[in-house]
Amino acid sequence: MIDFADVAMRLFENMYYLVSVILFVIGFHTMLTHSNLIKKVIGMNIMDTAIFLFFVSTGYVQGGVAPIIEPGVEQAYINPLPTALILTGIVVAVSVTAFALSLVVKIYEHYGTLDAEEIMRIRSTES
Amino acid sequence: MTFINVIHAHSTVLLIVSFLLFSFLMPILERWKNSWCATMAVAAHVLAFVFIGNLSWRVFTEGTIHYELGGWSPPWGIEFVVDYLALFMLITISTVSFLILIFGTVDLTHELKPKVLGLYYTLYLLLVGAMMGLAVTNDFFNMFVFMEIAAISACGIISVKSDRECVEASFKYLMLSAVGTGCVLLSVALLYMIGGHLNFAFAAAAIQDVAHIYPNNILVALALFSVGFIVKAALFPLHVWLPDAPSSAPSPSSAILSGLVIKIYTVVYLKLLYKVFPIELFDLLPVFDMILILSALSIFFGSIFAIVQEDIKRMLAFSSIAQIGYVFLGIGLANSTGLTGGLLHIFNHAMMKSMLFLSAGAIIYCTGIRKIDDLKGIGLKMPVVMGAFTIGAMAMVGIPTTNGFISKLYLALGTLDANKHFYLAIILISSFLNCLYYFPIVINAFFGESEEEDGEEEIQVKKLPLRMSVPLIILGAGCMIFGIFPKYILVIIERAVEMIL
Amino acid sequence: MGETTTSFLPVFVTLFPMLMTLAIYYVQKESAKLRNKLSVITSIITFIAVAAMYPQIIRGDILVFELFEIIPEMGFVGTFRVDILSFCLALISSFVWMLATIYSIDYMSHEHAQNRYYPTLIFTLGACLGIFVAGDFFTLFIFFELMSVISYVLVVHEETEEALKAGYKYIIMTIIGGLALLLGVINTFELAGTVSLEHTGMITTASGLAFATFIAYIIGFGMKAGMFPLHVWLPDAHPVAPAPASALLSGIMLKTGAYGLFRVFFNVFNVEFLQETNWIFVVTVLAVITILLGSAVAITQYDLKRRLAYSSIGQMGYVLLGMSLFTEAAILGAIFHIFSHAFMKGCLFICAGAIIVKTGKRDVRELGGIGIKMPVTMIAFTTASLAMIGIPPLNGFLSKWNLALGALDGGAPFYVVVLLISSLMNGLYYLPIIINAFFGEEVLHQEIKADDVPFKMLLSIVVLAVCCLIFGVSPINLPFDLSRMATDLLIGGGI
Repeated sequence: MIDFADVAMRLFENMYYLVSVILFVIGFHTMLTHSNLIKKVIGMNIMDTAIFLFFVSTGYVQGGVAPIIEPGVEQAYINPLPTALILTGIVVAVSVTAFALSLVVKIYEHYGTLDAEEIMRIRSTES
Repeated sequence: MTFINVIHAHSTVLLIVSFLLFSFLMPILERWKNSWCATMAVAAHVLAFVFIGNLSWRVFTEGTIHYELGGWSPPWGIEFVVDYLALFMLITISTVSFLILIFGTVDLTHELKPKVLGLYYTLYLLLVGAMMGLAVTNDFFNMFVFMEIAAISACGIISVKSDRECVEASFKYLMLSAVGTGCVLLSVALLYMIGGHLNFAFAAAAIQDVAHIYPNNILVALALFSVGFIVKAALFPLHVWLPDAPSSAPSPSSAILSGLVIKIYTVVYLKLLYKVFPIELFDLLPVFDMILILSALSIFFGSIFAIVQEDIKRMLAFSSIAQIGYVFLGIGLANSTGLTGGLLHIFNHAMMKSMLFLSAGAIIYCTGIRKIDDLKGIGLKMPVVMGAFTIGAMAMVGIPTTNGFISKLYLALGTLDANKHFYLAIILISSFLNCLYYFPIVINAFFGESEEEDGEEEIQVKKLPLRMSVPLIILGAGCMIFGIFPKYILVIIERAVEMIL
Repeated sequence: MGETTTSFLPVFVTLFPMLMTLAIYYVQKESAKLRNKLSVITSIITFIAVAAMYPQIIRGDILVFELFEIIPEMGFVGTFRVDILSFCLALISSFVWMLATIYSIDYMSHEHAQNRYYPTLIFTLGACLGIFVAGDFFTLFIFFELMSVISYVLVVHEETEEALKAGYKYIIMTIIGGLALLLGVINTFELAGTVSLEHTGMITTASGLAFATFIAYIIGFGMKAGMFPLHVWLPDAHPVAPAPASALLSGIMLKTGAYGLFRVFFNVFNVEFLQETNWIFVVTVLAVITILLGSAVAITQYDLKRRLAYSSIGQMGYVLLGMSLFTEAAILGAIFHIFSHAFMKGCLFICAGAIIVKTGKRDVRELGGIGIKMPVTMIAFTTASLAMIGIPPLNGFLSKWNLALGALDGGAPFYVVVLLISSLMNGLYYLPIIINAFFGEEVLHQEIKADDVPFKMLLSIVVLAVCCLIFGVSPINLPFDLSRMATDLLIGGGI
């Protein structure tokens, strides 16, 4: 017999991971199943955010504070490295998004639609 | 003599920094002296040759180079490692991209608007720099950053033509590569969770210690890495972006994408498999068998799809999917002969495929023909181009005295060493399939009846500029030379394999 | 047993034509005449170089040379090695090649794309000799592939739709054969650890892989030798090529397959093993089918060159049958038939070329009365045809006699019956041509002067016909002596 309370408790304790996995799946699903190009880009962003959340939470220590070390004060600090890395990751994600959106603009100019299936139909009828 | 000392001490990082520096100079140059861009891009490559020469001399005399960025020793600092594997990739990348660039300096003026020409070189140098970074990096996060740089700049050089096929292909590539890098970053996070290190060597040691406590973490990380790199390296069934991307892009972009970009991800994957993940893990999860199955599918279906293509560049792109399967086959065999074959095929295929794409580009440049059926009788009008194409085709099929034969031979012996005869059959069948789609082109080009369309339009052929024919001749000669004397490249590869296993 | 001597000659005969190809290619821009002369000189020098090995070979020496190392640590090195069997094949090849080149000069003078023809012809000579002088299976495979792929250019020379179709069939089958051969070589290396021809009986334990190797070799070499059921490319490819090229394709290049099979049976495996496991029976059965099928289908063909091509299939069956019986006389017959068939079929094809050039007729029914118009050509044709049928004292008789003796020695008189039936069928398709040519009603209304075939063509035709005649039962019979020595070598296991 599985102790549901225990499972729920453990899930609650690892809430960040749980949430980031859910977000990841939502993003991934949006990206692959929606035919609207903008929605694909949004899905990509949700997915990236999920990964960032996951990465940052690996460095989190329960009850820790920002690692600004004052002499003489004993305190639990969170690991600053993931946070620093994710800063870079966010910059990368922003630039990828910008690039993707610029491509979407170009596609719209060429086809007059943002629907991937519509674009496919246009291409197949023309060629 | 301090200058030489600086080069000697820092050539690892200078190699990458010089590419980045030159690429950022390009937009400025473009406004100031537009005609200098191409020369400067070539200069960056020449400079890179100096650094790589220095590196290879040091690797051969002193052994593996560990370079600590900014003097911070790992695990705190970022570390670059130049071993034989990295050196092999550096040499491959620099040589092939140099030749593609020389070709591109003429071809691009024809294919692109003059406005974006300077920016193209920016992206090109960024891409080459990022690939070199991937070859030497020894750090997870650096790897991620270089992957993103490579992905964005690769998308850039596809979409630079800004007609609709290019933009669409570029978007497709960007989305899939975002999935790929996302998976990779997630698995980096999973490994960081349990290991607490980002440096490959330290992470490997830490993971080894805790592997029995958190096997699931490592397995999920391995799965995500595999998915990420398979998307990036365009292995079947995640190859969908590749045929669109190179077939619509300018020829130099297609050449570098098919010839080099997909290879560098295989090498990084190889590095991760052997350097980071503990060996016991592979008993738990038959990852090598999975790679073998995927590579066999890739080899088979890549060739099958290539047969039915009408557009010459699209056909070449599908053929790349089959050929990347060979490289993965070498990795999956996991014995020294097979791995040698796989790595050798990276080098050989980089030469063959870039040569084929460049000759396709030259055909398009001179005649404007893209359809395979229209190429009848072109061989006598463009002997250099079709000669190079013929050599490339023969290398693809694996006719002896071309380099493709040597790598196939190694792979075939590797399958026997690993006692997996089925894959030997796959190699032989795919050689035959290659022949089915390459030889008709060559035959048509040289022996097609040209009297059929007497009154109709004769194919107009422009003269091929010297800067386009020389890279083709060099690559063609290279294919033959490394087919007869493969030992010159095997020197590096064998040491690399020895080090990996 | 002679000793092993290092000699540069084997390398020379291979690489010299290949290098001269470049020279010929560049010379042709200057003058066509110089190109033709250079081609002939190259083929003559090559023949002399091959013949120069004779004194050492006849002593029983083995000439070796190590040229370059491809992948040294894996045993894949470019070694060259000439023993008496290699020498036999190299000698006959370079001889017929020389005559074919001389013949080409007049024959090709009105053809298109000669600039492509001559370099290809000479390069193929180098590659073909390379097969015979190679010292290991790996080198052999390289030259085999080179020859097969390059000779594609000869096959499609006419560039008609028919030729292109036949050429496509040829190249596809060649690639399949090449891959099968590669499989065989790789398997041999895996099982035996070596592919050098110095060893005999490299594989002597029966296993699935060993059988796969055997089959792979049979497919690879059998494809080239026109063995049933892998012969399908041959009747299409040989007739469409220009006459001298078809003479070489049928007369010489088919023999590379036979040579390869000799090496497989005696070097990779050995006689005892193949007989013990009964694998050789596969070859015997296929050889019998090849003989009967080739001869039977030839009767139904009315295109002259196509009939000759089918006849080639039948004749290669003799060679395969002889080598698969493993008795001394049979092997002697097989090797001698390689010589005989090269002379006979070379002669027949270039005669056919001369006839087609002069009359423009390819159909055998339309060749009535041609014997009177072209007496020399037709007499040569007759000689070679009679040799094909096996009329004594021509050379075809001698090889068939030995094959029959070998079959009886092996206690298998059935094969003698096969030989007789096929000889009968040979008669059925060769004799009508001859009878029609000399005694038939003249259907040709075209005016041709008596034998105005150019001298150089006539020379080659006559030389080959004379070879058919004198290498029959004459007392001085160099090919027969060489074949006997080669047989001793093979049977003695002293390779």
